[in-house]
Amino acid sequence: MNLIREIWQSIVRRDPLSTDKGKSELVFLNVWLHIHPAKVKKEHLRFKYTFYLGFITFFLFLILVTTGIALMCYYRPYPPMAYQDMKDLQFVVFMGPFLRAMHRWAAHAMVVCVFLHMCRVFYTGSYKKPRQFNWVVGVLLLLLTLGLSFTGYLLPWDQLAYWAITVGTNIGGYAPLVGGQLKELLLGGHTVGEAALIRFYVLHVAVLPSLMILLTIVHFWRIRKDGGLSRPTWKLRPNKTEALVTIGAPAEVAPLKTVAASTDKTYGLMEVVTGKPIFETVTPEEEEDAVFSYPYAFFREAIALMVTVTGIMAISFFFHAPLEELANSAKTPNPAKAPWYFLGLQELVSHSALLGGVVAPALMVLVLIAIPYLDRNPSRRPADRKLILWLFTFFVVANLVLIVIGTFFRGPGWAFVPPWVHVVSGAE
Amino acid sequence: MNRRDFFSWGTAGFVALCSGVAVSLGAVVRFLVPDVFYEPPQVFKIGNPGDFPFGPPTFLADEKIYVFRDRDKGFAVASAVCTHLGCTVNYFQSDQKFHCPCHGSVFARGGDVIHGPAPRPLQWFEVTVTRAGQLQVDKDKVVPDSYRLMV
Repeated sequence: MNLIREIWQSIVRRDPLSTDKGKSELVFLNVWLHIHPAKVKKEHLRFKYTFYLGFITFFLFLILVTTGIALMCYYRPYPPMAYQDMKDLQFVVFMGPFLRAMHRWAAHAMVVCVFLHMCRVFYTGSYKKPRQFNWVVGVLLLLLTLGLSFTGYLLPWDQLAYWAITVGTNIGGYAPLVGGQLKELLLGGHTVGEAALIRFYVLHVAVLPSLMILLTIVHFWRIRKDGGLSRPTWKLRPNKTEALVTIGAPAEVAPLKTVAASTDKTYGLMEVVTGKPIFETVTPEEEEDAVFSYPYAFFREAIALMVTVTGIMAISFFFHAPLEELANSAKTPNPAKAPWYFLGLQELVSHSALLGGVVAPALMVLVLIAIPYLDRNPSRRPADRKLILWLFTFFVVANLVLIVIGTFFRGPGWAFVPPWVHVVSGAE
Repeated sequence: MNRRDFFSWGTAGFVALCSGVAVSLGAVVRFLVPDVFYEPPQVFKIGNPGDFPFGPPTFLADEKIYVFRDRDKGFAVASAVCTHLGCTVNYFQSDQKFHCPCHGSVFARGGDVIHGPAPRPLQWFEVTVTRAGQLQVDKDKVVPDSYRLMV
């Protein structure tokens, strides 16, 4: 028994979890958990403030990585094989349709959650100083999410895949100066063919996920370095002009320095449980406001993880991922539609390829990235931000309307057809 | 080594390092551009003139072309690739026009854009007769829509 205890203690060196010290050490002696603070503010645990969208997005990414690796065992990125492997996954691989459905629905859900997460951060004004850069990282993560979706779309090598990628890469070809070369580089040729399939596969399983993981690490790290989650505006105290804190190690006789207290700092980073915190004093009311991450935050994260996984599993149990006919370069389906989150773009493209396909999305991305630097208003209170809230709401609604039009109101030949009208497709 | 030499050599070294990195990056990009394309050939034979009927054009799926044969004007070959975003256009005999299924572009029989987002007319390719009497299309040679091959 002593040996077992010794082994256990060589792995887990913290105090028992019944003590406050143990609860802290669980977090900061563990490489996986120490991205969390030892203590979190109660208000940040409230579902209504964040809807846990960041966590849910991350959990969806985990689902995508695990199911993706499983699918890789049966998939060969070569045109004669790719579609056959999809059919195998549909019909002869144990749990193949289920895993494929999980991968597909988790990907859709991730696009939705990333977007909603962005909306939450915007509406709470959480992109403002000192969190500007993390907003930029977030926009890059949104683009990576879309890039992963897009590259994944070609892999089944069915009609939907083939034509969505044909249209998508041709849009890129309209980019001024470099468009043509960019398209050729992406496709490894002039049309969507075997070279394009292997390139999209490499992007989908190696390049983009690596970038995603690297940027996610930065994104999480910066949350902590920027002072934790932003405080709900109703909790913000009016600025006390002369709130000062003393910096210095408690053992030293004289404090090192007295500086103005951060008004948006959640708690001292290096807080130890007994005795005074090392770097920054925490007011008693702030102390009272915080609880240990274990178990309060971890329990909620575990619930969010379980709800996300079971939700995706339940959907995948009832709805399988669609697979169309084998890709046919001669026959374009009518109407040929991109995945739903690109249908707003396709709607714009149907009016003008250059303006709608290149200029408008490029401007949209640039403005999104620049928001924290363009918005000079320091206040996070909704009452002070009416104009920009309206502008952002317009941006969200415009995107949704375009997607709804592209999805439900466009029929054969991209003609305007309301969903309640049934069109018998014309002769081929 | 004196101060002046140190900075001279230092600058030279820094420039050399930067150019080395730049050249390497350029080589990586160049690596991604294939020297050989395993794609269908741009020049290909499509059969004997007699294989093609008068009237509505013949669609060749693998080559993505429409072959027109008119009684008085001879042969002409149109690209079936929409100039907007590369979807394959369909020819309808009923209105004698090309319709693109992706974004609704409509082209006249002569290839001109009638309607929709397509920025350019459909392309016409050179068609010739080989010594063996077969029709040969060269997709690298774009010709005006008035081009006709009389056989």
